[in-house]
Amino acid sequence: MMYRPKIIGFICNWSLPTEVDITSTSRMHGYPKIRIVQVMCVGRIDPAIVLETFAKGADGVLVIGCHPPDCHYIDGNLQAERKIKMLKKLISLTGLEPERLRLDWAYASEIERFAKIIDDFRNQVTALGPSPLTGEKPDTDILLNINAARAAAEDFRLRVLVGRERELTEKENVYGEKISQEEFDSLLHEIAEAEFIRHKIHLLTKEKPMSVKEIAAITNMKPALVLRHIVNMRRKGMITLDHVERTTPLYKALEVH
Amino acid sequence: MTVNSHAFKNKQRLPPCRAACPASVNVQGYIALLQQGKFKEAVELIRKSMPFPAICGRVCFSPCQDACSRKNIDQPVGIRYLKRLAADIEREQGRIKPDPIPKTHSEKVAIVGAGPAGLSAAYELAKLGYPVTVFERMHEPGGMMRYGIPEYRLQKYVVANEIAYIQDLGVEIKTGVEFGKDIQIDTLRNEGYKAIFIANGAQLSRKLRIPGEDLEGVFPAVEFLRHASLGKIVDVGEKVAVIGGGNSAVDAARTSLRLGAKEVTILYRRSRKEMPALPHEIEAAEEEGIRLYFLVAPTQIIGEGGRIKVIECLRMKLGEPDESGRRRPVPIQRTEHTYEVDTVIPAIGQRAETSCLPSILLDERARAISVDPLTLETSIPGVFAGGDIVTGTASIIKAIGAGKRAAVSIDRYLNGKDLRTGREEEIEETTWVKDWEMITKKPERYTAPNIDTGRQRVSFEEADELLVKIKELAMSEARRCLECGPCSGCLESEGLCEADKAMVDETLCTGCNVCAVVCPSGAIEKNKVGVAQVDEDLCKGCGTCSASCPERAITMRRFTNAQIVTQVLSALGGGPA
Repeated sequence: MMYRPKIIGFICNWSLPTEVDITSTSRMHGYPKIRIVQVMCVGRIDPAIVLETFAKGADGVLVIGCHPPDCHYIDGNLQAERKIKMLKKLISLTGLEPERLRLDWAYASEIERFAKIIDDFRNQVTALGPSPLTGEKPDTDILLNINAARAAAEDFRLRVLVGRERELTEKENVYGEKISQEEFDSLLHEIAEAEFIRHKIHLLTKEKPMSVKEIAAITNMKPALVLRHIVNMRRKGMITLDHVERTTPLYKALEVH
Repeated sequence: MTVNSHAFKNKQRLPPCRAACPASVNVQGYIALLQQGKFKEAVELIRKSMPFPAICGRVCFSPCQDACSRKNIDQPVGIRYLKRLAADIEREQGRIKPDPIPKTHSEKVAIVGAGPAGLSAAYELAKLGYPVTVFERMHEPGGMMRYGIPEYRLQKYVVANEIAYIQDLGVEIKTGVEFGKDIQIDTLRNEGYKAIFIANGAQLSRKLRIPGEDLEGVFPAVEFLRHASLGKIVDVGEKVAVIGGGNSAVDAARTSLRLGAKEVTILYRRSRKEMPALPHEIEAAEEEGIRLYFLVAPTQIIGEGGRIKVIECLRMKLGEPDESGRRRPVPIQRTEHTYEVDTVIPAIGQRAETSCLPSILLDERARAISVDPLTLETSIPGVFAGGDIVTGTASIIKAIGAGKRAAVSIDRYLNGKDLRTGREEEIEETTWVKDWEMITKKPERYTAPNIDTGRQRVSFEEADELLVKIKELAMSEARRCLECGPCSGCLESEGLCEADKAMVDETLCTGCNVCAVVCPSGAIEKNKVGVAQVDEDLCKGCGTCSASCPERAITMRRFTNAQIVTQVLSALGGGPA
């Protein structure tokens, strides 16, 4: 049997063509089928929900909102664009192909464009094959990574950064500073990587206390870098020293609220 | 505690377009539906406020458009054009005949005059379940919409179609019945009508009050337009002078051209700026070759053998503003000059025909019915009046507003309720936009396609294509709306949406202000102690704040994250698609 990807389409209420009958079981009559979840605005899509969707076995996630600069909520579509940009960075760290996630624009009047976006994306996902998180034996490494990414997407730092992107790059902050888009993007990448790895360490040490060396081996990182993250995490109350075996300290995750 | 606190209970926050509309049409709501291409639903939403979407889409003076916030960026959203398109598309696609509304009340209501005020009142009362009869003097209902506005602006079939809708709901219209002659207040009472609404309009043209007005060839605008719309042949000769600057004047001038006049001139005593006619009508008149002479007022009409020959005018200058806010014209002495004319059409306003009314209803100068402006009650209990008969010449949309107001009063009166309680509505105009610079500019107005199906002969396929194109353009134009008011509840009426609101868990909020930054409606602000507060009136429920809150302290009341995840799971669980 031909592989038929499971694609979740998060579609904005205002760009969903009226011709599309989302109440019927086939979801999109006469068009390539995707499973539509209708939201008021694509800005509504929490990055954590996208990652959970992948964790639960979606082969692809397609987000369709209104063409900028037209948005029923003024700039909800641009908010979504920033979130997707951050998500793609996080996903690229997990081992899952970031091409499984796409954001595109269509108007409710553009039924043909709408169908074409879905068609193209379906072809793209079909070419990638089934998600490593589906099937009999889901890839546990990638699943752990996706869960770490999800925890990072739920945490304060990345969310604040994404939420303030426009303010930081287009206006000035309270200190009268304005940062360039390139500067912002490299900052975002840096923080996404750091947050991802910290949450991964957090998840790993939740099960059993681990040493820096063990963590470094699993995460394929230099022990010195792991230690730096652990110091940082201890300061934030994410991790604590559990006990010392001979001369090796073992760390254990703390419950974060 | 303030004594009057209850008076503000009805304080409604509305976007400027809706606040400006005398009939309080949910403009933002139907524009939102048009963005989605829901033409039929948009018309249904308009019909919740008034029964004439196609008529108002053509000839309303659209105060909504003048109030539109979009003018602060480029130009207002083309609201009237959108309303017309929505109504026309609905009609083209075949309007579904509404089922008659069951009569749940036994009290009969009589309405005098089938113009916009009378028909609107009938429409509202029929929706409430009252048996309503409308009495009309002319042979066809519609009032000024049928007999006052020329065909080229408002086609008769459009009027007929919208009135048919009201009749389909169960309103009975009796034509050829003259109030004051065939029926009286007493006779209506004897026939069992428990409430009466008088809305017979202002049908008489104001007199110029200058010598020569009775000569042959002087044709007051209202009569002139009525004759023309009845298809009676009016010989206007070659040279026509129309006196006045309102819509009737421009209508009369443009109609004269269509009746064969060669030279049509509008004489107006003030300047172009003060002309009350619709700007695009004035432009159209000029394009058709109608000349406009400003700052002239006629002093006498001179005839020859009982028929007019010339009109003599004085030049004017503008003095101090009068009570209407416009600058008063002041004659300049010894500037008499004459124009040769075959026909003079005075169009300087209308007045009510009050001779058919009992004098107890009239105001001290006997020029209009005097009513309580809030309830439209007259001095006779159970008798209400509204529209031009009360206000003097106004507009269709104001008449519709009066009709709606009267319907509320009549419903209260028949139920023995107080007519006044809670009706002093406080309306606050609301625009979330505080920083116009921060708005990502949407495109300039999309140019409306010139569709004149009368002239353009197109095949069915072409017409189909044209319709698709028009729909796309309408949707594009609708997207220019800034949604400045609170949630308009556009989809709520269809059961597609329940207004969603953001809620802040104050124990989790750290006051980082991200929500206030991302909120597109300016609905979130930090309070004194630094905790985010949602203004529920402004919140439109998009959920962007909830998806962005770093502390995950904001949840949506209805469509929570958990519900989205449930939907995702059920979509994933459905087997391979």
